[in-house]
Amino acid sequence: MRAQSKHQLTSQRFFHDVLPTIIFLLPGFGLFFLFMLGPMGYSLRMSFYNWNLANPEMSTWVGFDNYIKALNDPVFRHAVLNTLIYTIITVSVQMVLGLCVAVLLNQQIRGRAFFRVSYYFPVITSWVIVSVLFEYLFNGQVGLVNYVLKDVLHITTTNLRWFIDDRLFFVPMTLLAIWKGVGWTTIIYLAGLQAIPAELYEAATVDGANGWQRFRFITLPLLRTTLVYLLIVLVIGGLNAYVSFFLITNGGNPLDRTHSILTWMYKVTFLKRDFGYGAAISYWLTLFVFLISLLQLKLLQKTADY
Amino acid sequence: MKSQKSILKLVSAIITLAVFLTACASATTPVADHATQQPAANGSTATEAPAQSPASIAKVTVTYWHSMSNPETEQFNKVIAAFEAANPDITIESTRYASDDNSFQNAMVTAMSSKTFPDAARMDIAWVSQYAADGVLMPLDGQMSDFNAISKAVFPGPLSTNFYQGHYYGLPLDTNTQVLLWNKQVFQAAGINEPPKTLTEFADVACKLSDKNKEIYGYAQGGTYFWASAPIFYAMGGKIVDDKQTTATGYINGPQSVAAFTMLKSLYDKGCMSPNLLGGGIATDAGHGEGKYAMIIDGPWMVDKYKSMYPDFQTNFALIPTGPDGTTSSVVGGEDVVIFNSAKNKEATMKWLSYLMSPDAQRIMAEVGIMPTLAGLQNDPALPPYFGIFMEQLKTAQARVPHPKWSQMDDAINQAYQRILLGEQPVQASLDQAAEEINALLK
Repeated sequence: MRAQSKHQLTSQRFFHDVLPTIIFLLPGFGLFFLFMLGPMGYSLRMSFYNWNLANPEMSTWVGFDNYIKALNDPVFRHAVLNTLIYTIITVSVQMVLGLCVAVLLNQQIRGRAFFRVSYYFPVITSWVIVSVLFEYLFNGQVGLVNYVLKDVLHITTTNLRWFIDDRLFFVPMTLLAIWKGVGWTTIIYLAGLQAIPAELYEAATVDGANGWQRFRFITLPLLRTTLVYLLIVLVIGGLNAYVSFFLITNGGNPLDRTHSILTWMYKVTFLKRDFGYGAAISYWLTLFVFLISLLQLKLLQKTADY
Repeated sequence: MKSQKSILKLVSAIITLAVFLTACASATTPVADHATQQPAANGSTATEAPAQSPASIAKVTVTYWHSMSNPETEQFNKVIAAFEAANPDITIESTRYASDDNSFQNAMVTAMSSKTFPDAARMDIAWVSQYAADGVLMPLDGQMSDFNAISKAVFPGPLSTNFYQGHYYGLPLDTNTQVLLWNKQVFQAAGINEPPKTLTEFADVACKLSDKNKEIYGYAQGGTYFWASAPIFYAMGGKIVDDKQTTATGYINGPQSVAAFTMLKSLYDKGCMSPNLLGGGIATDAGHGEGKYAMIIDGPWMVDKYKSMYPDFQTNFALIPTGPDGTTSSVVGGEDVVIFNSAKNKEATMKWLSYLMSPDAQRIMAEVGIMPTLAGLQNDPALPPYFGIFMEQLKTAQARVPHPKWSQMDDAINQAYQRILLGEQPVQASLDQAAEEINALLK
């Protein structure tokens, strides 16, 4: 009897708690397996083969050759360098600028809602549209930026060919990312700022702390979790840069020098049709992102202290 | 109370799952293209429809992919309508992809990896041998009953682009080539009344009509890919590989090819050719239409393109100027239509191909600048008059290398050209490197 009631109890628990949970989770997990884990596993397999797209069964096993090939590939190395420079510039500027804007927008200023919407507007605009816009602005022959630099400010005497030079092209590319991204960091900062108890500021003011001291000793330490979150998400986003590079420099033009890691992966995969190598490049990127995220979490792991 | 809550939880969970599954199910029904004719549209009353529908014949659907432009797609809907009217048992479901090579190539590659090819497709003549080598195309000779008749009726050049290792894997749907476009107003303003006849004249005129500081150039190319420089390359006597496709040494880096790229490099350095070809500049079509680029080299579709872009603009064509040996040349372009091995209903698909190759269908498409491949239509009064110059140019135009790895050869030449323009390597050294890269692809 006792055993049965116990069994009844568990089956009751199963029907009341476990089963609904499973059913609720099923669609999400189904999608996750179908569209994320499945393809990831498939491309992991591809990365160890000289992959034959039309007849996968005829692919030949090459071990880690594709991974080694990437390390010896000058274009891949250049793409990694480009991606790192792009990430460092865009992430640091977005984090600092976003914080400044958030602190300003957190004050009781006139037209606050208007400014918040204005800063957020580029975020909701599609990457494609923003890329096309910047392509026009920085057109090497008739762009607005060249007009201002050459004909209004007279800083240069000739039009700058923004997208032909593998250093100059960072200017439009990073400005685009910063302009488009800063609104989002601002919103996240604002959420973090609003979670800081007002009493702390009141107490500090009573103790005679000035504005800078309040920011340095209250705001900044209590924003730590927000900072970590932003840093990780922005770095991952930066390393995954694709759309703007693909649209603006047509993936690497000229001479494959303006690639991001992903545009080179794309070219290798879809134009050169080297699917194994393309998969290996994407796994290098995955590993890279994973390690950096781990490092960031470790370095900044400290609980908020209030 | 607690159990009621649990039941509620379970029920809502099941509902969620059900909603999710039905959403999935409805998503798998094929999305009808705008080209697909909806028979329901003329069924005026609901009571009449069920009485008629069981009587209708069992329909087969043929899926067809293409990457035509806006005016071409609109015109193409007329072809579909005509075919469906003549074959009430076949429905054509056409899907349009963006007309740049990348998007369409992507769709093809995705289809290949997931084995979801359409029944038939229109593809660039340079792609057929690649897909034939992949083993995904159906050989049409011996399978299609009217193959012999059609292959005799078309121009041999475009037909040959379908040939791969003993079989024909497609039919030449349309053909084209590039000629010189010269902006008459710009020419006349500089006191020149005629387009250049020789490439030497061409270079002189290009420089005469350039003003680098105002971003005005005598000549502009759309990019550094081979198609863009091919007409000048071939007119200068350039060759990529030998006819038997055994080597590129002495061809892509031979004296004529070197001379062709040396000429382009000199135009670029002197500011007589727009720097837009390296990226981030004014596009050739807009630049020519607005008078910033006096000359560009492009195809027959430009007439309809300018009709919508600049309605007042008068397009003027001329043959590609002649090279050192006194002959003009250009590059053969066009599209072939192919059937995939995986096609579900091959009979209906072959019927569709035959119709696409018929004089009727070719005449309809010619109205929007698509040149027919049927030799019998060459002097057809229904064809637009400007086809004449393209027909003339086609006589000397050359095909790119019909090889499964052509797109990689194209990339090798593209990169060599970029190295030349940016001054990274002298012309000869750069083309020597390209020859080595192409030789590796020929093996």
